[in-house]
Amino acid sequence: MAQKNSKQKNNKARAFSSATKSEPKSTGSTAESRRELMRLQREREAREKKVRTGVTIGIVAVVVAGILAGLIWLVPALAARKSAAADPYALAIGSATASVTVDIYQDFMCPYCGQFDRAQASDLAALVDAGTVKVDFHIMAFLDDSSNGTKYSTRAANAFVAVAQREPSKALAFNSALYQNQPAEGSNGLTDAEIADRARQAGVSDSLAATFASLQNVDFVSRSNQAAFDAGVTSTPTVKINGAAFKGNLYAAGALKDAVTKTVGSK
Amino acid sequence: MSGLLERAHTVRQSNVWIYTTMMLSACVSLLASFVLSVDAIALAKNPTASLACNINATISCGTVGISWQAHLLGFPNAFLGMVAEPVVITIAVASLAKVRFPRGFMLAAQVVYTLGVIFAYWLFFQAMFVIGALCPWCLLVTLSTTLVFASLTHINLRDNNLFLPERAHEAARAGLRMGLDVLIVVLWLAAVVALVFAKYGLALFA
Repeated sequence: MAQKNSKQKNNKARAFSSATKSEPKSTGSTAESRRELMRLQREREAREKKVRTGVTIGIVAVVVAGILAGLIWLVPALAARKSAAADPYALAIGSATASVTVDIYQDFMCPYCGQFDRAQASDLAALVDAGTVKVDFHIMAFLDDSSNGTKYSTRAANAFVAVAQREPSKALAFNSALYQNQPAEGSNGLTDAEIADRARQAGVSDSLAATFASLQNVDFVSRSNQAAFDAGVTSTPTVKINGAAFKGNLYAAGALKDAVTKTVGSK
Repeated sequence: MSGLLERAHTVRQSNVWIYTTMMLSACVSLLASFVLSVDAIALAKNPTASLACNINATISCGTVGISWQAHLLGFPNAFLGMVAEPVVITIAVASLAKVRFPRGFMLAAQVVYTLGVIFAYWLFFQAMFVIGALCPWCLLVTLSTTLVFASLTHINLRDNNLFLPERAHEAARAGLRMGLDVLIVVLWLAAVVALVFAKYGLALFA
């Protein structure tokens, strides 16, 4: 009996060391020891099954946690970026909930910008008033060299930034005022006093107009200019409707309004 | 549920599953290597060639393709994939047809493929941290190479083609039976994905 026991122990050890080759080769392989082996194998399988279930749960947990973490991090981050993607130098005029955004890249010394504004200003003002359109002005000043050293582009832009930021309801009128009787490219441009005069005529407050001469927004203007170039703008006026380049005639009255109407209609 | 898990477990251990995984992964890897080779030729003709996989500053195979790392041995790395993956496909297909290769042969395949995996991950880390751009086809190679490696290692551990001592072999088999290999691969790939997102984050979607 004692002998048999030790044999069983021996078999048991072998069963552990060579799991599936569990067929005992030993001479005394009785039905009893075979049963014992099968029991051990069952135990081992049960143990492994337990671990396996744990491992499976672990794998599923890793995958699910990964997906969840991704979604939790990604979705708000993407949403935040979408709103942050808005150009920080865009001067927004009009209702933030307007269905159409018109981007206008302009330089106050650029004659075609003037021509564009004179053709479209009244339509644009009406569309903004109606809440249909929000205008994002992108101020550029690359024509600074075309005003005999007075940097008219920057000075006019400086004034416009002040108005757009602090008295936005007067911005469109002031914008058009700068383009009425627009100083020719290559001239000295308007003086700071003349710019302030036109602002006051457009309804801008005296106190704000008085700040123009101190050129507080020059940094903003140069960065805005650079941002526009970085965004791929190569000429002014560049006009976009909901991000897509406006392909119509910039200088034909009604063309912009038609394009806006079409965009609204296609929504 | 438990029955389904056990069935999945049995299927996963079967030769059909393992070799099919190996074959499909190797096919994907071969396809990616082929595309990368074609791109390498296009880039050799014109380093500024616009490739379809130049999506943004971060995801750009052009940037990766013109780096010195992309032709470490004097020719495009992708050529190695075009040479090696058909061998893997052959092994997998033959094995599916019940051919059993000599242990030494499988050991050699394991050694060579392990070098390939090391090379693939070296490239991945170079792209991540030195070149600063990721290329989609290279990532596909990294992924499929990992899967081929996992399935090849699974077979070789199970059949002890690696000439492990009895105890180590038994431990490895027990690990395979408990699915530890899958856990390792999943954790590994999760770490790789996490690394990519940690490094590049939103730039991936720029």
